[in-house]
Amino acid sequence: MSDTVKRHKRNFDDAANAALFIAAFIGIWQLVFTLGIFPQISLPSPTMVAETFAKIISDGTLFWSVGVTLGRLLAAFAVSITLGTLVGFTMIKFKSFGKTLNSFSAGLLAFPSIAWVPFSILLIGFNEFGIMFVVVMSSVFSIMISTYSSIRNIPPIYLDAAKNMGAKGLLLFRHVTIPAATPSLIIGLRQAWSFSWHAVIGAEILMSIVGLGHILSVGREFLDMSQVIASMITIFTIGLLVDRFLLHKLEDKIRAKWGLDNHR
Amino acid sequence: MTKLQAKNIIKHFDHNGNSVVALDGVNLNVEEGDFVCIVGPSGCGKSTFLNIVAGLEKPDSGEILLNGKPISDPGPDRTMVFQEGALFPWLKVIDNVEFGLKMAGIPTDERREISRRYLDMMQLTKFADSYTYQLSTGMKQRVAIARALAMDPEILLMDEPFAALDSQTRDLLLVELQLIWERTKKTIIFVTHNISESVILGNKVEVFKNRPSRIKKEIIIDYRRPRLAEDENLQQYYHQILDELKSEVIARTKDEIQ
Repeated sequence: MSDTVKRHKRNFDDAANAALFIAAFIGIWQLVFTLGIFPQISLPSPTMVAETFAKIISDGTLFWSVGVTLGRLLAAFAVSITLGTLVGFTMIKFKSFGKTLNSFSAGLLAFPSIAWVPFSILLIGFNEFGIMFVVVMSSVFSIMISTYSSIRNIPPIYLDAAKNMGAKGLLLFRHVTIPAATPSLIIGLRQAWSFSWHAVIGAEILMSIVGLGHILSVGREFLDMSQVIASMITIFTIGLLVDRFLLHKLEDKIRAKWGLDNHR
Repeated sequence: MTKLQAKNIIKHFDHNGNSVVALDGVNLNVEEGDFVCIVGPSGCGKSTFLNIVAGLEKPDSGEILLNGKPISDPGPDRTMVFQEGALFPWLKVIDNVEFGLKMAGIPTDERREISRRYLDMMQLTKFADSYTYQLSTGMKQRVAIARALAMDPEILLMDEPFAALDSQTRDLLLVELQLIWERTKKTIIFVTHNISESVILGNKVEVFKNRPSRIKKEIIIDYRRPRLAEDENLQQYYHQILDELKSEVIARTKDEIQ
């Protein structure tokens, strides 16, 4: 079998397994519904959720909410990446500053995103910037720490070899430091993305009048469990798609180019 | 003409709070076109010495003169072939070879031409567009040599470049390196712990004393080339160096046990 055929077959098998898993999940859900363990208002059937989906898709609510949420997320993530890498580079440049900031990293990384909400409401208010602030604060430290540690963990021999060939300053940074740190930087980026995703939904539930987090919270207020579940499924799907088809693909590509996946 | 001069190089290391003397006054003169091999027990400071020549480490005192001028920083006039793992995995073979030329601001066409020439010399033309993980260890070291030569350095520094190779590949490269040396007329300093390697390659072999290190003895090897590993006439040089080294290796082992 040629490699492409093999790969297609493997992709097909993976997809078949995933479909089977989802079918089983829906089956169990339907069973619990039919047995009447929970009242219908607490746990609607899969069909009822599908109807809600049809409704929020046809009246445009879903696309509008997804658009708003992703817009906020991307804007805040861009700020995070810019700020995080700049501070990360500064930490490398000024060693004792880097060491000090790095010693706080565990606390900064473990800090729950939702805990930024009250601070943000009082500091900035119930507005777009307030939400963005929460998202930025939830992901910027992850970018910052991963920039710092990715660069510090570059094997010294790459830098020695580069300096030996006359690379210094910006040239060294651009042609050696950045590419040498890239595989590890991507991992930090994925982590920061997932922190941002947590944060934007959390912030929207508490602070927003539009967006995915908002329709989730509206569902709760109107005791509309179908809408709650439909929003949750959407949140899950987007999180999965972005990671799987964007960040993970990017990481795989870089790892393959570097020969990092040839361990047997 | 003297190409490189090391004057009374002294270097200390901090080891668990104790200051350890790594180099205790190394003096060395390398003439233009010399192939100098430095042998010594492992950990004797010979690689440290080479790093100082390369400018990657600074001596506590003493100086290195290249063509009579003192050097302190790393520079492409003294390119190094490292033991292993110094190629950039994010670059193709040809881009690895071109790296230094690119840093020097040489235009693309010109550096393509230069790097092709050296890849050709190392019989790697077919692998120009491969990534380094696709190469065997021996091929990687040939790329590393091509990369160092492409810079057309004043002096080529080699830090145990064949230590990680299997013996067949090493024997092959030992011959290749002699041919390249004759062809390019490069001045080479080659560090090794392997006596045979030093006898086959060097026209001068510097035996390093165990810590605190300095040069214990210089042995001149005036013998026709290319020299082969199995040449029995080289045995006398081998034994001469071995006699010098034996006591050093014993001293080194004692150091490590204590």
